[in-house]
Amino acid sequence: MTGTRRASYQSHLDLARQIVGVVFERGLRSGDHLPEKVFSDACNVSRTPIRSAFKLLESRDILEWRQEQGYFLSVDTPDAINKALSELEGVEGALPDKILADRADRRLGDIQSVSALARRYSTSRSAVLFALKVLAREGVVTQLPGRAWAFQPMIDSPKALSESFELRLLMEPLALSSPGFALDGKKAAVVRNQIEDFLRLGDAAATGARFRRADIDFHILVAECSANRFVRSSLLAHHRLRQASKKEGTIPAYRMQKSMEEHLEILDSLDRKQHDLAADLMVVHLRRSSVRRPEAANRGISPLLRGQAL
Amino acid sequence: MNARPTVALFPEASFGAALNCVGIAQELRNRGARPVFICHPGFNGVFAEYGFMEYHLTPPETPGEPTTEARWTDFLNTHLPNFNLSPAEQLETYVGPTWEAIVDTAIGAEDSLRSVLAQIRPDAILLDNVIMFPAIAEAGCPWVRVVSCAETEIPDRGVPPYLSGLDPADTEACDAFRKASRAATAHAHRRYNDFRRKCGLGPLPDDIFLENSDDLNLLLAPSAVRYEREMPLDPERFTYLEGCVRTESPFEMPYFPDGEGPVVYVSFGSLGALDTDLFQRLIDAFADFPARFIVNVGSYLESYDRVPDNVHLGDWFPQPSVVAQVDLFIHHGGNNSFCEALYHGVPSLVMPYCWDGHDNAQRAARTGTGRWVNRATWTPEALRQAIRSALDDTAMQGRLDAISARMKRHPGTEAAADAVMDMLRRRSARSRGEGAYHKAV
Repeated sequence: MTGTRRASYQSHLDLARQIVGVVFERGLRSGDHLPEKVFSDACNVSRTPIRSAFKLLESRDILEWRQEQGYFLSVDTPDAINKALSELEGVEGALPDKILADRADRRLGDIQSVSALARRYSTSRSAVLFALKVLAREGVVTQLPGRAWAFQPMIDSPKALSESFELRLLMEPLALSSPGFALDGKKAAVVRNQIEDFLRLGDAAATGARFRRADIDFHILVAECSANRFVRSSLLAHHRLRQASKKEGTIPAYRMQKSMEEHLEILDSLDRKQHDLAADLMVVHLRRSSVRRPEAANRGISPLLRGQAL
Repeated sequence: MNARPTVALFPEASFGAALNCVGIAQELRNRGARPVFICHPGFNGVFAEYGFMEYHLTPPETPGEPTTEARWTDFLNTHLPNFNLSPAEQLETYVGPTWEAIVDTAIGAEDSLRSVLAQIRPDAILLDNVIMFPAIAEAGCPWVRVVSCAETEIPDRGVPPYLSGLDPADTEACDAFRKASRAATAHAHRRYNDFRRKCGLGPLPDDIFLENSDDLNLLLAPSAVRYEREMPLDPERFTYLEGCVRTESPFEMPYFPDGEGPVVYVSFGSLGALDTDLFQRLIDAFADFPARFIVNVGSYLESYDRVPDNVHLGDWFPQPSVVAQVDLFIHHGGNNSFCEALYHGVPSLVMPYCWDGHDNAQRAARTGTGRWVNRATWTPEALRQAIRSALDDTAMQGRLDAISARMKRHPGTEAAADAVMDMLRRRSARSRGEGAYHKAV
């Protein structure tokens, strides 16, 4: 599955979860009608993605499609719905995604053999080999001499997170200020809409997962529009790693909102062709985003913060 | 009263107090006040992420002192074994040395705190700590004591001694513990009283490091687990909060490759997360239990590999939002954790390792709102049995549902903010009245 297909599936899945959240919140029961407009308003998206998410929910028998009437709720117990949703995540499908998700969740050790992975996923060695090659292209695994494969570092420790910000502080402003930066207007409009959608969400719908996706899409846009090929490829690879790591923690609603507003400010500067200003705003944005909580705190001792704070 | 009173919140450098104050500050802001935070070094930025102005204390210059990381390594080497000791044994090994360190912190913060308070010029100060700072007493504005630890922090003959984990009915053991506690903290207490005298404050009685406020004292203790005091607290000055559960970002249930059964959340606070060996043993014990486990391992995610398919690890969770969605909460007896479990009607398995965790473990078991699991002696089978019995205990669930409903009717964060605003209004009315009196004479 390509990165884009994966992102699109994930986006439908997230919307499906959001729809289920609205179902719970409004106490809908089995047999109740789910009007597209109501859910499009509640989730602050157009009807097209709502339709795709409804289809996804229908595929797991959470919703039922009735000709010329629309979608209806088939189950109403939270457990049944959560179980069906979990299965949806499981069938996300492609083996590279499963391997990556399991590594991010620390279910797989640093070194893996093809046969061990084939056993875990009940699949053929050739399928595993193919998946590992896909992941190797993304820089997530490396083949060792012999038959073993090693996972590359992920962003799963305070030190790794500090290093990630350090890298981004150097490269993202550079991506914006290097001569030839050209904003892709069409993609920028999509990203801007995504940010504005997020800012319109109520507290209950503004989830960390939705924030992370809008955040990564914005930073990928910046990387993609850079004219410096090396900056572009390094940043894209790093953002893929961030996406896979999924461990950047939950941040308070206030900071999520501010972060999105900072993205908009950077986009505004780019629209005005003020690339240097955008680069400066990016520095401020990354510094604000890199605030770390103490790793440990106890009475009578200064809180622990390992590694360099930025 | 100032139309938009500035309330300076000064939580101690622990997540429990810090996040408890965030909940109160959110509600103060909703009531038109201007809450600001005074931060210990290390917590800089934490409150700004919730949208609050921060004022930072400067650590005293201590050339030649070991780095914070080295101090923590030393702390772990010294105290991890102590966490397996009984509350009585911890008095000498952990509680005494910790009070010495707390006194050092208070002395070290004093100059910086005076300068920060002069800058803020607050209308009121909320102190969520276990020790008094003379700068607060002399700030020229009312101050509020927030007892975010267990209720045992304010002594009474009807309440077991602080940090003892004892039942108040066991009077002999309680008396022995009180005596041992006074002895263990005597040196720190003498140093602290000397410091108070130097700053112009009177000394405090044995074993007491923080006086009650003349204006307002807030206690988190929910009515379901409250003690009957021999000397009831004056309702004019003391407000019980029914917990103090803050609003957090929504939580999305993670995907479990092996996802069946009830959901159990495990968190021992940031300090507990340092004990990675204990967490590894817990994770191993969870592997073949028919439930899904969400485990907060703090900043030590990279210490774990081969995580079972029914276990999900994370470095930080929006805890109140998580607890709202789970069937059981295994925690260390931190007062926020215990109150969050009660607030959401979730049974607790308490595995305490220090401080008021022992008191809450005892109280959870005594009030039938949870079970006490011994950190030093648990076995995988005993733990699984405790989980099973807590999940199957319908009578306990019934009690917790009723407690949850009662607590949600009167959220503690709102009650705290109302009490602070009322106190400011009363003070303001009183000073206007005094002004009128002085004019008349």
